[in-house]
Amino acid sequence: MIALRSTLAGRIFLTVASTVILLFLALPIVLIVVTSFGKDAFGAFPPDSWTLGWYKVLFADGSKWPAALSLSALIASLTTAFSLLLGITAATALVRSNLPLRSAVYGLVLAPLVIPQVVIALGLFLLFEPAAMLGSPIAIALGHTVLASPIAVMILMATLKGIDERLEDAAASMGAGRLTVARRITLPLAMPGMIAAAVFSFITSFDEFFISQFLSSVDTTTLPVQVFNVLQFDVDPSVTAVSAVLIAIAVLALVLVAAVRRLGGGGKQDGLLPTEPAVGLSTGSEPS
Amino acid sequence: MAGSVLAPAPPAAGPKAPAVSQGRLRRALSERRTRFGLLNAAPVVIYLLVLFVYPIFSTLLLSLKGEGGGWTLHWYADALQGSNLKVLLTTLRISAETSLLSLVIGFLLAAAVSRLKPLWAGLVMIIVIVPHFISALVRTYGWIILLGEHGVINDALTDLGVPGAPFQMLYNELGVVIGTTSVMLPYTVLLLYAVMKGIDRRLPAAAASMGAGRLTIFRRVYLPMVAPGLVNAGILCFILCLGYYLTPALMGGPKQAMVASLISEQVMKQSQWNGAAALGIILLLLTFGGLLLLRLIKVLSEAAKNRGIS
Repeated sequence: MIALRSTLAGRIFLTVASTVILLFLALPIVLIVVTSFGKDAFGAFPPDSWTLGWYKVLFADGSKWPAALSLSALIASLTTAFSLLLGITAATALVRSNLPLRSAVYGLVLAPLVIPQVVIALGLFLLFEPAAMLGSPIAIALGHTVLASPIAVMILMATLKGIDERLEDAAASMGAGRLTVARRITLPLAMPGMIAAAVFSFITSFDEFFISQFLSSVDTTTLPVQVFNVLQFDVDPSVTAVSAVLIAIAVLALVLVAAVRRLGGGGKQDGLLPTEPAVGLSTGSEPS
Repeated sequence: MAGSVLAPAPPAAGPKAPAVSQGRLRRALSERRTRFGLLNAAPVVIYLLVLFVYPIFSTLLLSLKGEGGGWTLHWYADALQGSNLKVLLTTLRISAETSLLSLVIGFLLAAAVSRLKPLWAGLVMIIVIVPHFISALVRTYGWIILLGEHGVINDALTDLGVPGAPFQMLYNELGVVIGTTSVMLPYTVLLLYAVMKGIDRRLPAAAASMGAGRLTIFRRVYLPMVAPGLVNAGILCFILCLGYYLTPALMGGPKQAMVASLISEQVMKQSQWNGAAALGIILLLLTFGGLLLLRLIKVLSEAAKNRGIS
């Protein structure tokens, strides 16, 4: 790229190319949001006339969407609770203790991120089917936690590493017990990271498709499974509005994390965004 | 133990006693830290053993079980022939195409961003990262609206009077590769951006001062430094594509069926669990192969680096 960069033509080429690539990333999303307000849901762009009709249809009588939305929210909340619990303990063990076989434990924790999700879903199906737990929101949440907890662990590890251990030592030397130190020193400092971990666990579960599909039953259909079914089998224009709602939820969640990060003043706390699940594995980086 | 610390030491052992008890104290403290670690690691380890390792292990067992109850490789033979083999090869082909395209596009974007000022680079990275957290299902739907026969692009092309429009861009491999690439792109951009950010800019400058031309600098200085990142990103992207499902299922035709859809179909529609398990294990082995390759390349490149230094 050095070669391209230093000539005018090269610079123009790079600028145009990256603009096109950014459009490639953003256009499908922008399009859905705009179309969801258009009168003709599958039609012209930009729409000829505007309406909120598709959003009203979502909550009309007989609509399947409210049930799917509340089921997904329930499952995502359970998943968030589970993966925070696992994440806090695991991150503490990996960052603040001499854990035997630490890199093996770290590898195990990150493994679900690179194993094909269909394999995890199939395995969970084989586990829950004999237990007659298919369709149980708890089973689906337990499954989602397999995917969400690695992300929570990574965020919380970054958070813990960003907290100066000497603050905890200082409190302990002043006579604070272990619980007091955790409650009055570590917890407040770790709050931005905890909120980020919670938000990303929630989104992971809320968007998850494979495990939900394999573990669902006729009357437990999560939102993504419902969207998939509509896209694959029927034509239901209100799916545009659902998609726009999903986009709004994801964007709001990211804004929340960014805001918490800024308010927390956590200049030190890098890695609150689990931008790259797989990067940790690819670079072979280990907790230090 | 406490006694030995508090009690006055016998004169003969005087110089030694404190050292011993300090060693003991340190050992006790370290044991405590170990116990603390084990206690805290236990929940996640137990959780993943029960809900991640064991299920995959039972998938493996199921893939080796014959209908009569004995052991068999029948399901693997089944998975590696006929239409199943075709699906497997399609999966490999689509994954390769997608990875290659993501690498090229990701390289261009990452290179362009790595020369921007921090503020602009930050803004561009937001456009890369935000879609990553928006449901892939939703983004795929966006592509369907965009690429359909009466989609936004075809409408525009028809209005412009482009000959041949509308083009078939959906329910074929072109659609699948476009859609899947847009899902994978954030990964490659982030990985390559991290590598490019880490490159010492003085090196190309030094090469230039020695009289190297632009192309020579690119080929002999820049590219070798980015190469490990490219290989990394390519393999990772390939692995992630192997098990991918949503976009091929929605944007492809029957010819673009991938292994994950086949597994899903065998479980959901045909209750053919053994066959699905064998396909899952094959997918898993391919993934392990990719991860192993990553590891190998890392070890080799480190060895080469060390040789270069000494």
